[in-house]
Amino acid sequence: MLSVSPREERADALVSRREYVRVEGLGKSFGPHRALDDINFAVRSGEVVAIIGPSGSGKSTLLRCLNQLETQSEGSVTLAGITIDAAKPATRQQLTELRRSAGMVFQSFNLFPHMSVLRNVSLPQERVLGRSRKEADERSRALLSRVGLEAKADQYPNRCSGGQQQRIAIARALALDPKIMLFDEPTSALDPELGLEVLAVMQELAEAGMTMIVVTHEMHFAETVSDRIIIMADGRIIEEGPSAEVMRRPTTERAQRFLNAVKNR
Amino acid sequence: MIDLLDFWRDSVPQLLDGLEVTLRITGVALALGIPLGLALALGVQSPTSSIRYPSLAIVEIGRGAPALILLQFAYFGLPSAGLSLSSFAAASMALAWTTGAYTSEIIRAGLQAVPRGQREAAVAVGMTHIDGLRFVIVPQAMRIAAPALLGFAVLMLQASSLCFAIALPELLSQAYIIGTNTFRYMPILCLAGALYAAICIPASLAVASIERELSRHTA
Repeated sequence: MLSVSPREERADALVSRREYVRVEGLGKSFGPHRALDDINFAVRSGEVVAIIGPSGSGKSTLLRCLNQLETQSEGSVTLAGITIDAAKPATRQQLTELRRSAGMVFQSFNLFPHMSVLRNVSLPQERVLGRSRKEADERSRALLSRVGLEAKADQYPNRCSGGQQQRIAIARALALDPKIMLFDEPTSALDPELGLEVLAVMQELAEAGMTMIVVTHEMHFAETVSDRIIIMADGRIIEEGPSAEVMRRPTTERAQRFLNAVKNR
Repeated sequence: MIDLLDFWRDSVPQLLDGLEVTLRITGVALALGIPLGLALALGVQSPTSSIRYPSLAIVEIGRGAPALILLQFAYFGLPSAGLSLSSFAAASMALAWTTGAYTSEIIRAGLQAVPRGQREAAVAVGMTHIDGLRFVIVPQAMRIAAPALLGFAVLMLQASSLCFAIALPELLSQAYIIGTNTFRYMPILCLAGALYAAICIPASLAVASIERELSRHTA
């Protein structure tokens, strides 16, 4: 292990940065089922936060509340200056602005299968940001080359491997110049080798200073790339802190149990 | 035998005129009916009840009433309400209604078959609901629905023969007129049937190959 990694240096500088995300008293119920309970945390600009925890602990639901794919039952979410409170319904304009500020990457990629790779990346720019076709295509090609897939621009998504599709999905989200990127188990649908190429792109993004929240089962990524780790279980945050500390010295018994289970395999 | 072939040869021009009307009325019914079907499919899913209930009513009446009744309603019924339509206009209206009602169910199934993740992706990239439908959901739904819609188009071509009841000079009417004049119903109806088959069988084969083509870029 490096004693002072660039990441740790960065973490020191982070304290003074402004907050991009603040979650206060967030709760979500599906009928009688309590998916999230009293969630509070904040993410500063440039920070990379990994959310880990057992399946069904509410990680994905939390992430989906951040860009309002799910609406919370209680509490508020503030993202890039827009506050959405459970008490009053969000306006359409707020939602559009919120989603424009937050790029989302899904476990199942969700590329549009009836469009070429280039159209997948360009269409949202044209419709959401009002860029011209030419501008959008230029930006798309630049982003596709950033994720190493210029050559695939004119292919259809189903001609690409899962790892390539996920990198295209990342390019599509980046094309809207988001302030923060949300990743919902981006490598869970991929075999380990293809997962690596996606993780490499994410690491490059993190190093370039992108603010990121990553729901993941990739413990190595969580430990080495993220600045902070949040561990969730049963809809609550049970442990939160700098990555190395949380991974090596978890304080709660539940977190220890979870980390033992994922590390000893 | 020679006599029969002569009869058929003499009848062909009149039947082809009828076939042209058949194709035109089918084309108009589909051109109006399928967009109507899409609108109704979206309408019955609308959260707004002032859109949903009228859409449901149009669909249920269109599917519940036989096409023959709708045809006669448009041609014989509407004049008493002060609206006189030519037989072609009445047939267009009635068959477009039937087409809209049936295809709305086909398209609705197509809309529901588009994976949920597609809707979420459209929302997550900040597209409006309308944009999401227009660029993401509807194109995929129509691709899924296309084989069934084309199959329905072939059925409508056959159903257009019902227009014979409102004196539209389509293929069956023409055959019937020839039959009435010559009393040779059997041979002329066989020839008319052969002409329907000459369109429908290649059309069905084309549907199968289009189906293969469309399945190439699905998820």
